[in-house]
Formats: sequence, C-alpha cells, structure tokens
Amino acid sequence: MRNFFKRSQLSDRQESAVRKTLQNLRAQRRNRFRILACVSGTEEDDFTVRYAARFSISNDCDLIILHVRPIDQGLHSGGLQVRLARQNMMEAGFELPGVRYLKHALQVLSQEGIDPESWPRETDNQDAWGDPAGDTKVEYKSPQGRSVVLKLKTAPDVANGILDQYELGPYNLIVLGEPSRWRGEFKAFFDAGIVQQVTVLAPCSVLVVRKGPEKSGFFICTDGTSRSMQAVRRAAVLAHVTGEPITLFSVANTEQGRPAAEEAVYNAGALLKAMKIPVHETKVAVGNTIEEIVERGSLYKIIVVTDEGRSRFQRLFKGSTATDVVRKARTSVLDVR
Amino acid sequence: MTATQSTTAFSLARDSLQAHESSARLSRFRRRGYQRYRLVSSQVDLSLLWKRRWFIIAMVLGFLLMAAPTPSGLTHGGQIVLCMSIMATILFVSEAIPLPTVPLLIIVGQVVLLKVDPTRVAQSLMTDSVLFIMGSLMLAVAIVRQRLDKRIAWWIVSITGTNVYWISFGITVVCGVLAAFIGEHTVAAMMLPVGVTLISLTSNDPKKVHNLAAVILFSISYGCSIAGVATPSGGARNAIIISYWKDFFYDPADPASRRYLMDYLTWIYYAFPMFLLRLPIVAAILVFTFRPETTDMSRAISRLRTQVSMQGPMKVSEWTTVVIFLVTIIGWIMLSDTLGLGVIAIAGTVAFLVLGLVRWEDINSGVNWGVVLLYAASISLGVEMKATGAAEWVAASVLTGLNHIGAGSALGFNLIISLLTIGVSNTMTAGAAVAVLAPIVLKTAVVAHEDPISAGFITAISSAFGYLTPAAQPAFTIIYASGYLKGADFFKIGIRMMLLSIIVLLFLSSVYWPLLR
Repeated sequence: MRNFFKRSQLSDRQESAVRKTLQNLRAQRRNRFRILACVSGTEEDDFTVRYAARFSISNDCDLIILHVRPIDQGLHSGGLQVRLARQNMMEAGFELPGVRYLKHALQVLSQEGIDPESWPRETDNQDAWGDPAGDTKVEYKSPQGRSVVLKLKTAPDVANGILDQYELGPYNLIVLGEPSRWRGEFKAFFDAGIVQQVTVLAPCSVLVVRKGPEKSGFFICTDGTSRSMQAVRRAAVLAHVTGEPITLFSVANTEQGRPAAEEAVYNAGALLKAMKIPVHETKVAVGNTIEEIVERGSLYKIIVVTDEGRSRFQRLFKGSTATDVVRKARTSVLDVR
Repeated sequence: MTATQSTTAFSLARDSLQAHESSARLSRFRRRGYQRYRLVSSQVDLSLLWKRRWFIIAMVLGFLLMAAPTPSGLTHGGQIVLCMSIMATILFVSEAIPLPTVPLLIIVGQVVLLKVDPTRVAQSLMTDSVLFIMGSLMLAVAIVRQRLDKRIAWWIVSITGTNVYWISFGITVVCGVLAAFIGEHTVAAMMLPVGVTLISLTSNDPKKVHNLAAVILFSISYGCSIAGVATPSGGARNAIIISYWKDFFYDPADPASRRYLMDYLTWIYYAFPMFLLRLPIVAAILVFTFRPETTDMSRAISRLRTQVSMQGPMKVSEWTTVVIFLVTIIGWIMLSDTLGLGVIAIAGTVAFLVLGLVRWEDINSGVNWGVVLLYAASISLGVEMKATGAAEWVAASVLTGLNHIGAGSALGFNLIISLLTIGVSNTMTAGAAVAVLAPIVLKTAVVAHEDPISAGFITAISSAFGYLTPAAQPAFTIIYASGYLKGADFFKIGIRMMLLSIIVLLFLSSVYWPLLR
C-alpha cells in the first residue's frame, strides 16, 4: 500500500539510475544545437529544409527532419482502417507519402552541401497507434558526431505530434513552413492551424519560413527589456555564425517614446559590440509596433521577435506581439524563447 | 580579431537559441525537499484540459439544458434525449475525445439519465442494421486482402484503351458498380494501389503529373462516393435509415405500413438512378477541372500488362472470392427481407474465414470497431428520441420554422432537408449525421404531410454530398492517404459536384420518386 502513492514500482535506487540516465541523455543533447524541421509534403518544404540546413553549419548541430502522419481519429474512413489502404500500398511496393517527403528532404540537404547518405546509418521502428508503418527513425551519423535524423511519426494530429516530438528530446529550434491559416485568439479556441498551435505552444524558439525571393539579413527587434536583450544576443549569434548581416530595430508607439526606442537599439548595439558581433545598421520607427515590424522587416530574410515573457497559456488566450508578427509578416519570422 | 576567429569563438549550442529547461524551476522545489510535490505536479497535465475543452463545454451545456425548465409540449425524458443529442453532436463535430467514447457515453446516459432498463438498452444496440454494418466491414477487409486490384485495372484498360479520359471514365464506372454493393471504403482501399501504379508508371515525379494523379484518384473516389447510396449495402448511412423507417413507421398490424420495411431491390429502384445520372457528370467535371499533363497512358499500361502477366492466371482463391462476393450480392437482393441484410453479410464473412481466404487477425485489425459502436448507440438514441416524443416535438418546431421562411412546399422542404444534411455531414462522419438528423427529419415529414420514404432517401443521399474536404467521405480519406492530392483539390472539384448533385437529387425527388409510390 505504501508503494501505491509512489510514482513507480522501481526501487529508489533504480529510479534514481533511470532518472540519471535520462538526465545524462538530455544533458548530452543540450550540448548540441538541435533543429527540428517539420515537412508536410507542400512546396514550402524545400524552404523549410534549406533554412534548417543553413543554420546547421557546424559539427555541434543536429538536424531532425520530421513528418507527422495523423491517424484517423474521427472515423472518417467509415469503419475500414486507413491502415489497410496504407498496408495495401506498401505491399504493392509503394512508399508511404511521408517517406517520399523525407527522401526529398535528403535531396534538398545534399543541394545545401550536407550529404548524410554517405554517413553510417541506423534505423529504428516502433509500433504506434496501430499503424503499419508506426514511428520510423533513420539516423545518419557523421564521423565528426553530427547527426541527421529522418523521422516519420504517427500522432492523433499533426500539431500535437510535433509538440510531442519536442518532449522526446529538447530542441533549440523548430522550423515550420508558412501557415495556410492563422486565426485570432477567439477563433483559435474553436479551430487553430498547425503552425499556429505549434508557434503558440512550443517551449523553444520557432522559425516560420515563408517562401519568396532570396533575401539576406536578420531584422532583430528589441523593446529594451532584459528578456528582449537576451533574445537579441542569442539571435545575433545565430546570424553572425551563419554570416547574415544584422539590423537592429525598435518601435515607439508615440513620438515621446522615440528616445526610449533609440536607447533600446543603442543598448542592443553596445551589447553586440561587446560580443564583437558587427551590426550592419540600426533603425527606429514610430507607429504601430506590429505594422512597423512587418512593413520594415519584409525586406530582410528573417524578422526576429521575442515573446514578452508570456507563458504558454497567456499566449493561448492573449496572443502576443511575436505571434501577431508571425501571422502577418511577409517574410520568415523567428520567434525567440 | 578577424571575422573567422570571432565566428569560431561562438558555439551555437551554448550561445545561440536555447532549448527550454523544464526541470530548472522544479529543481528549486526539489532542493527545498518538495520531491513529492514535484512528482504530483509532473503528472498533472494541464494541456489535457485544453485538449478536452469541447468535452467540458458539451457536458456543462448539456447538464445546464437538462436542468432548465421543460418546454411546453415536451416530456422531461424528451428534454434529456435532446440534450444528449446536442452533447453527442458537439463531441462528434469537435472530436474532443476519441469518437468511440461518444457511443459509450450515450449508453451510460440512457441508463443513468433516462432510467431505461439496461437490458433494453443492450437489446436496442444490436439490430439487423448494426449487424449489417459490422458484417459488411468484415467483408470489406476480406475482399481488400485478396489483392484483385491489378486484375480489375487490367480489365478496365483492356476495354477503355490508353486514353486517360476513357480510363478515368472506366475506373469511375467500375469503382461505382463495385462500391454500390460492397461499400465505398472497400473499393477505395482496394483500388488505391492501382491508381498509384498508373500514376507512378507515367512519371516518378508526382509534381509533374499532379493533374493526371487528380483525374485518376478522383475517378476512384468519386466513383465510390456517388455509388455509395445506390444500394443498401453501399454504406452504413443506408442501413441506419432503413432501421429508422422500420422502427418509426412499421406496424405489424397495419399492412399499409409494410412499405417501410425497405428491401434491397426497392432501395435500388429509388437510389440507383442517382448513381447513373451522376456518372457522366463526374466524368465531365473531372475533365474540365483538371487537365491532365498527358492523355496517352500507353507506357503505364504496357507496364501494368507486364505486372499482371507476372501474376499468372487467376488463382482458385481469387475465383472463390469472386464467387462469394456474387453469392452475397444475390443473397442481399433475393433474401434480405427474410434473412436480413446483416445475416447475409455475416455469412459472407464466415465463408471467407472458413475457406481460409482471410485471417481473423486481419479482420480484427482492419475493422474500426468504434464505428460499429458509434452507429449502434446512435440508432439506439434515435429510437429513444421517438419513444420520448422528442423527435415529434422538434419536428413540429422545425415545421413552424419552415413555414415561416416559406419552405412549406414539397420542393422547399426537400431542399431544406438536403442542405441541412449536407451542412451537418460536412462537420461529422456521414453515418453519424444521418443517425442524429434522421429521427427529426422523418417526424417532420409526417407532420408536414410529406412522404417519410422520400425524406429518408434525401437525408441518406445528401449525407454523401460532403465533397469539400478530404475528411468528408471515407473514400476521400483513403485516397488522400496516398499523398498525391492536396486539400485544395478536394474543394476545387467538390463544390461543383455538390451543387450538381443537389440539382439531380431534387429532380429525382420531384419527378421520379412520386412514380414509384
């Protein structure tokens, strides 16, 4: 009876060993820059994988390319399991769609100069939700310790599959394609898109990639708070390492706020100067925060914004400037957490 | 310091974007000795409340409505049934909980809230219609497992030739005829590999043959979809409406009410023209909506010929499958009014199992048993709607509303039923839509002095008009799993098909069906 209230039936010693192993694994992963790129079979996939590959430039970077296949939870197939059709396709020698998308991602990676197919590989498959393909993982590991993982995951819905994948191993960055729909907080209560759900609920930074002509530069926005400065510092390192010019930007709502905005940009510039990261230009604007960021940031490759320290549930109900920028921007947006 | 030196000084993992450290805050508690607090809090999943928000809303709303004063003319039991229907509808649409949980809740609600005798509830769950739905699903798995797809495809192309338009028409006709008898999902699952074979043999790059893929795959799915209403065995919705006609209107003491015992052949007289009239429409819409990148498929067909010839002549097991299939259809046509549709379907499945053509394990894993539960409980709830007078009360209210908006005429009444059913079936699975709506529609037809048979057919047939999304139809869901089509493709063709289907249905209900009475 004493054990009934315990979390598990393992002895304290075993429990601590298991916990330690998990901690070690997570600590090892924490020493690496892990990028989760999500592909869905759309035209944006090329851009998603390309951006992820360009950020994964050194040997301490791991790239995980994920495709989530939703299971038929709503009985839409009328009682005959969709798995039967999938099984039929597999038996006829056809690849499931997700496999095709992941293979295509490999081609995009090789165009970007990463050729994982020449590295040793390991395959792991486990049954999930009764699907014939289940969860399949192919890991390519370079001799330098860098890994590229292709993962085909089955989940009740795509957004939850991506968020579950985060829980399996912490990631530094989730990269997603352009949202096909993005609703306001009230409408999202009833039905939110995949990108919206992931952006709002992900515990780590999220990059929403939009296709378009090749641009350059990180357009890093700051409001002068210490949280925002942290985001500036971390995003600037990413920009610097990937060789992108940095533009610092701040918006004041009124003309009276301009000095504060100028100070925020100046402080951010000083911070980066101390880190020996060059700043290409600084800009200050007066007006509506979201509109100004979206308008001026559209000339750059990536707009960098940060949540105002809001929790997941606050973001869910109140939204944030960052999520509004992700929604309305015409270029890619990095939401730093 | 040079740029290169400063670049190498940074480590992305250490200096750039960070992974969220969930245990950082909790470690403070741990240090303070709140280990148990940490264990409990780690097991409380607040996001589950968010995921289940619609369940909570449905429950709160349902119980508030149950506690509200009973409207005049409605019994308290009827009020509870209506509230249960509203709760079930919210759960069907929102999919807040796994759908098979909804029928389980309905069963519990009938006993606990409606105080219906548990034995009576259990009996109401297993009717011939439910047996038929279960049997036809098992039969579907058995047939799909025989892998007759390539032979059927070869038979189609040997008649149609190598032109993609004729092949598309041939596929629509053959899939339609098959789906009319064995259910749309069966044929879609069976023919999907053939469709993908034809596409992939034409080009390995799906982007280069997107329109061709759309024409071929939509031929399969629309062939299946338009035929699903042609015979009672085409889909669960048909069995549900047959069950309601019997439960609501058949009185053994009244010979005139025998027409409500719908037999297989009479259903075909009513509904098969719906399939025949829409065949050319599907062919035309496909051609005009998607212009294939190539019209000559001779390369793909010569490879298909090679694949079929490698399979050799038809095996005994394949011939046996064909024979069992034909005998089952003949049984449905000739013997359904004595043996019932369900028993014949079950007998067909037994034949497959006894002859070793399919393993029970395959059937067990291929059938989504939740669907059987769902339909069983929905029919049971529909019967309670009638028993408590709830259906009649709603029908009277609906009719008053219809008269207010000037839809009191037969055509207006049929149009409103059709639009209502399409609207509901676009938000939930078609069978559930029919199960929820049919009791109200049938009772409204009686109050409005319209024919319940026509009203039932309109409901069943309209529930198959949800063409707008990949999730709207079983055949669409299966075809979408191939990965060749986009969600937008379904809307592009679906909206045209939906409008034309409504026109054909109204034509039949106004001109043809009155001739059959």
